[in-house]
Amino acid sequence: MNRPVTIDTITERMKEFGTAGQVRKNRIRMKTVPEKIHDAITTSQAMLGFDRLITISTVDNGQTFELLYHLIGSDRIIMSLAIDLPRDNPVTPTVSDLLPSAGIYERQIHDLFGIVFSGNPNMKRIMLNEDWPPEEYPLRKDWKPNPDVFYGGIKGERS
Amino acid sequence: MPEVVVSIGPHHPALKEPVNFKVIADGEKIVRLELDLSYNHRGVEKAAEQRDFIRVLPLLERVCGICSHSHSTAFAKGIEEIMQVGIPPRAQYIRTIIAELERMHSHLLWLGVAAHLIGFNTLFMWTWRDREAVQDTLEEMSGNRVHYNMNEIGGVRCDLTPAQVNAALGRLPNLEERINKYVDMVNYEETMLIRFRGVGRLSKEEALRYGTVGPTARASGVDYDVRKDDPYLAYADAPWNVVTDTHGDVYGRTRVRVWELQESLGIVRFCLENLPEGPIRVPVPKNAPKGEILSRYEAPRGELAHFIRTNGTDKVERVDIRTPTLANWTSVAMCLVNQNIADIPVIVAAIDPCLSCTSRITLLDNRTKKAGVMSFDELIRRYRSRHPEEV
Amino acid sequence: MAVPETGMSRRLMSWARAKSPWITVYNSGACNACDIEIIACLMPRFDVERFGILVKGSPRHADILIVTGHVTLKQASRLRRVFEQMPEPKYVIAMGACGASGGVFHGLYHMMSSVDSVIPIDVYVAGCPPRPDEIINAVVTCLNLMEEDTAHGGKEWRQKKPAPGVDTEGKSCTVAS
Repeated sequence: MNRPVTIDTITERMKEFGTAGQVRKNRIRMKTVPEKIHDAITTSQAMLGFDRLITISTVDNGQTFELLYHLIGSDRIIMSLAIDLPRDNPVTPTVSDLLPSAGIYERQIHDLFGIVFSGNPNMKRIMLNEDWPPEEYPLRKDWKPNPDVFYGGIKGERS
Repeated sequence: MPEVVVSIGPHHPALKEPVNFKVIADGEKIVRLELDLSYNHRGVEKAAEQRDFIRVLPLLERVCGICSHSHSTAFAKGIEEIMQVGIPPRAQYIRTIIAELERMHSHLLWLGVAAHLIGFNTLFMWTWRDREAVQDTLEEMSGNRVHYNMNEIGGVRCDLTPAQVNAALGRLPNLEERINKYVDMVNYEETMLIRFRGVGRLSKEEALRYGTVGPTARASGVDYDVRKDDPYLAYADAPWNVVTDTHGDVYGRTRVRVWELQESLGIVRFCLENLPEGPIRVPVPKNAPKGEILSRYEAPRGELAHFIRTNGTDKVERVDIRTPTLANWTSVAMCLVNQNIADIPVIVAAIDPCLSCTSRITLLDNRTKKAGVMSFDELIRRYRSRHPEEV
Repeated sequence: MAVPETGMSRRLMSWARAKSPWITVYNSGACNACDIEIIACLMPRFDVERFGILVKGSPRHADILIVTGHVTLKQASRLRRVFEQMPEPKYVIAMGACGASGGVFHGLYHMMSSVDSVIPIDVYVAGCPPRPDEIINAVVTCLNLMEEDTAHGGKEWRQKKPAPGVDTEGKSCTVAS
């Protein structure tokens, strides 16, 4: 990476992956699709110097789930890559092979939202207790605790 | 075999539950690590969607008891930016003073606990006694030693009187003298911290790749610091420097934290002496417009990221909290592979895990197929028994 | 378990327990502010160890259990197990707003309904977090309670004591000070 990276170079370089929208002076938000996310991150790492993943955020939009990957590089520009996943089949490829820190975030999102990250070898429970029933995802907007289901705690005594 | 020195979050023999991960071992060597954070999962993010902005700030404060101001300021800052409201300079300075005092109390706490883990209890007592001066200042300013609740959307809750400012300034010289003693200790008297050397080493490339943040990353030479990268509050006005070190091991992280204590004291002094006049809050609309923001804040343990999305009502649509300790766990997992079980306490403690992810360590022995649960006390005893000459 | 205090050894034990209680702390899903205030009690500013109060790690040696935090679903069975490991007579102090009603975490999906649905509580301390002085006061209150219980021959005198004029339908009330 010889020349400094600016918002314009990023917009130019990432054009093939999706549309860009500038949010603030050092932030840029790109909308892309799940099939291209892997290549988008590879390009941003190799060509634009984004070497750190800040976090992966999720939002439940009703019809879709939106995933945002926030990356930052040595030029201190934050790029957020946004993808939409359909609610009835939220599957997306994992990026933990490119960014090792993504593994833990993907595990957390899977526990709480039920989004499947295909290719991630370690999809075990991390945030919810071991007695939590498998198909209940508490952070989805339409989830309400069911009084007849045992979610954990002491059997027979949950008041 | 590298020597290991641990500095973990406040771990006294009294406390039972440190961090939790399953260690799959082959005899004494660790093969794999599995993390389980469910002991402290309280579902704060879901609750935050059901509370309006006034009620959600005390909830977010109590995500963590050591960095409570960090969470509430990160959230308030994000909402103010979505509303496009600028808070008055006096409020910015007051928030900065509280933030840096919190950083000081957190680093002193860590230093004490680190010392306790290597058996150096005198330093434990010293640092926690010095910490009381910071707590007194915070209590005078906000009314509580922890969970200050100073933030409101649009400013701060209460003002600083001249008497409070003078009292705080009066405590700083003594505190500065104590901190300089600790700085001398890390600079010159290495024998005290010799057991921190060479343990849990992270190179600069590894630190970046595993997404480490905070003093853990800065000790490996990575100079990310949100206060300089994305200046917020009064950090652009106050003269201070980002502290980095090149050692990359626990000794380096100790140096970074102790030097940061000095920098924080300087920032507090500057803000107290140059407190601008004016109002402490501005009126804000009840509902926030639709928008989203990634609000980053430099908590004592590293970069805290709140992703907030609003939907035009007086509640948030989503707040996604990524704590710095979560970001640092990957580096711990990577560091621990091929180390000995007895070295776990050191490497874990080096990242200064916030106890809000507390738990126990479960050991699964691959060879004998036995599972056992070990508490941190036992691990520390095991570590000390293997290195008897250093106790 | 109403054991009359006869015999020199029993009187000696109850004297020792009241003069120098051993405490164990259990964090059942807290934000850790309460735990730090407990450790601050042991530090030079407040220094409870000069009173003979020892904070030990194991519940098997403890007289008093201090529970911090509002119990998460994961910690419920473990907290129950820790309580059962303690030898009689045992006392429980629930710290802070979380111990009393759940504090800010009341009603969330990963929490039990209250701490006293898991174990019986003897003393509640108000605060979020309670100051170290208030914690020491709570331990002293607990010690006074210990002496009263010893004088009455056990804990039963505290149970089933309805408020005058109020019909409790035979429910027993746990003690709160």
